[in-house]
Amino acid sequence: MSNIELLAPAGDLEKLKIAYLYGADAVYCSLKQLGLRANANNFSWEELKEATIFAHHLKKKIYVTVNIIFHEKERKLVEQQLLKLDEIGIDAIIASDLLVIRKCQELHVSYDVHVSTQASILNGEAGLFYKKYGVTRLVLAREANIEDIKKIKEQTNLELECFIHGAMCTSFSGRCVLSNYCTKRDANRGGCAQICRWTFAYPKTEQVFSMTPKDLNLIEYIDQMIQAGVNSFKIEGRMRGIYYVATVVLAYRRMIDKIIKKDLNPKEIEYYLQVLNRCANRESAPQFIEHLPGRKEQYFLGRQEVSNQDFLGIVLDYDEQTHFVTLEQRNYFKVGDEVQFFGPNHETISHQITEIINEENEKISIANHPGMIVKFKIHFKLEKYDMMRIKLFDKHTFL
Amino acid sequence: MKINNFLLVVTTDEIKKLKVKNVNFLFPITNYSVGFLNTYEIGNITTPNAYLYLNRIFDTASLALLEQDLKKLPKNIKGICFTDFGVLQIIRKINIDVQLFYMQNHNTTNIESIHYYLDEVDSLLLSTDITKEEMIPILDQAKKPLIVPYFMKVDVMYSRRKLLTNFQEEFSLEHQKAISLQEPISHEFFEAVENEYGTVFYHEKFIDYRNIKHNNILFYFINPLGLKINEIVNILEGKEVDASTHEGFLNQETYYQIKEEQGYVKH
Repeated sequence: MSNIELLAPAGDLEKLKIAYLYGADAVYCSLKQLGLRANANNFSWEELKEATIFAHHLKKKIYVTVNIIFHEKERKLVEQQLLKLDEIGIDAIIASDLLVIRKCQELHVSYDVHVSTQASILNGEAGLFYKKYGVTRLVLAREANIEDIKKIKEQTNLELECFIHGAMCTSFSGRCVLSNYCTKRDANRGGCAQICRWTFAYPKTEQVFSMTPKDLNLIEYIDQMIQAGVNSFKIEGRMRGIYYVATVVLAYRRMIDKIIKKDLNPKEIEYYLQVLNRCANRESAPQFIEHLPGRKEQYFLGRQEVSNQDFLGIVLDYDEQTHFVTLEQRNYFKVGDEVQFFGPNHETISHQITEIINEENEKISIANHPGMIVKFKIHFKLEKYDMMRIKLFDKHTFL
Repeated sequence: MKINNFLLVVTTDEIKKLKVKNVNFLFPITNYSVGFLNTYEIGNITTPNAYLYLNRIFDTASLALLEQDLKKLPKNIKGICFTDFGVLQIIRKINIDVQLFYMQNHNTTNIESIHYYLDEVDSLLLSTDITKEEMIPILDQAKKPLIVPYFMKVDVMYSRRKLLTNFQEEFSLEHQKAISLQEPISHEFFEAVENEYGTVFYHEKFIDYRNIKHNNILFYFINPLGLKINEIVNILEGKEVDASTHEGFLNQETYYQIKEEQGYVKH
């Protein structure tokens, strides 16, 4: 069980640090040019170097996505960039273009090569095709079910990585160019406009509809997936914020640790499911893991995202002498609100806000400016980067 | 330059009426192909030198069934077109003597990748996502003759989901396995075709690349989905075709990544 990994997204350096702090064993990120999430901030070479030093200092891993499909212009950059990644000392790249995979083998790079979900691997034979080129891990298609996972593990004996949480493509990954046709933005080169989340018209009946899948959420299946041979549990969302990263990583960290120690109370699963739903902006479903998803696993009428104001603030400092916590505000809160603090090193703490003090040391009743610095007393030791959210429920009510 | 060979996806029995020489017939196969309303059982194909079009992404169980069928492959099957490397692996494993073509037209976008793929297969379908400016140098350098898009509906999305069934159930509509849809902002039309193994979206218009000539072409690829026999003949004879066409990305490059603050920018 020691080889079970929780893998988190890192759209920038701040999210990377939050992901590690909240329990990720590894993160995946992208340089500004070679990844499919071009709208994330992504990393400069200098930032990647800093991130790699930071990761290794914590004895954690860092993977870099090099998963675009290269056209002629970009392909000339590949060799140089693969060598530069080697100099930086990253742990692995995630690639789908055979150009990248074969080049890594020819260049004898010291990092591992993982086959991206863009390759849509759904059977062991396809895994064996890539294995002969030296890859050490397969990121399986999100369409894989438990039986597929077991068989692929048996056949390939490679490390398997599976997405467990976050947004889903409607299409098999790598097999969609709707964005190219509707916007000229290249879906396989970092420009996907998510056309499948747009509304389509069916002229015959004048009905309009979307094909948007609900998000993926496999928290109930972690144990089964470990048994099936999954090594790395991957969270989607390089464009999501730090609250999302912290909440999702922490929930899965605690679940995985309890499963490994065999002390998971099944009732806790429902609690973590509710926690995860709090930071989501869409409904979620287990999707393909047990059966082919049907209409209940999709939306049909346009984008269904809801704005989430759960995240109230991030802890900047806690003074053990005075018991004052200093926070950076992220969403509106006021005196009298029931809130919760959560962090990687303690269980969730509930608290009712009785006072708020601004930077001018004035008592205020409302914290309503994004980014404003406020403080108040709380008689529980908090740590930098702990987060405050609206209280909706307590864990003990689920147990 | 004279056009020598076409690789033509067969969509109806009418195709038997074709009297044009140098046409190689490519058959979508029941249980192993997606995006076609009409598919064929391998054992029922009697055409000499036929090719199979196995464009599914296979789960483990389906691939095992395919392996059994390929072990009994009739002698008239000359080649196999595929998009899932699992298919290539099992053909190597059972050691059958067929030509192998990689047909994932969204991956074959640069000469180096193409050469690596050509280490494994006899030829491949050149991408429909690249410009003519990119295509010609690739053809110049390719170490084996390639398959070039000629006149075809381009598959623009392949989902494992039964998207049409789901949609029609949701709105209590009559179930149809092929429908036309419009994306209202871009005004682009798409045709969606569903079977048991997923849903394929095609762009409604045919790409017409008939002006691409080169001496390093193995086949010109035609997917005449929905066209009548006389129009297919017109394609083969280089005549006008009564169908909506466009030039795809032949003369217009797709945008490589996006910088939000600058709007759409080219790399």
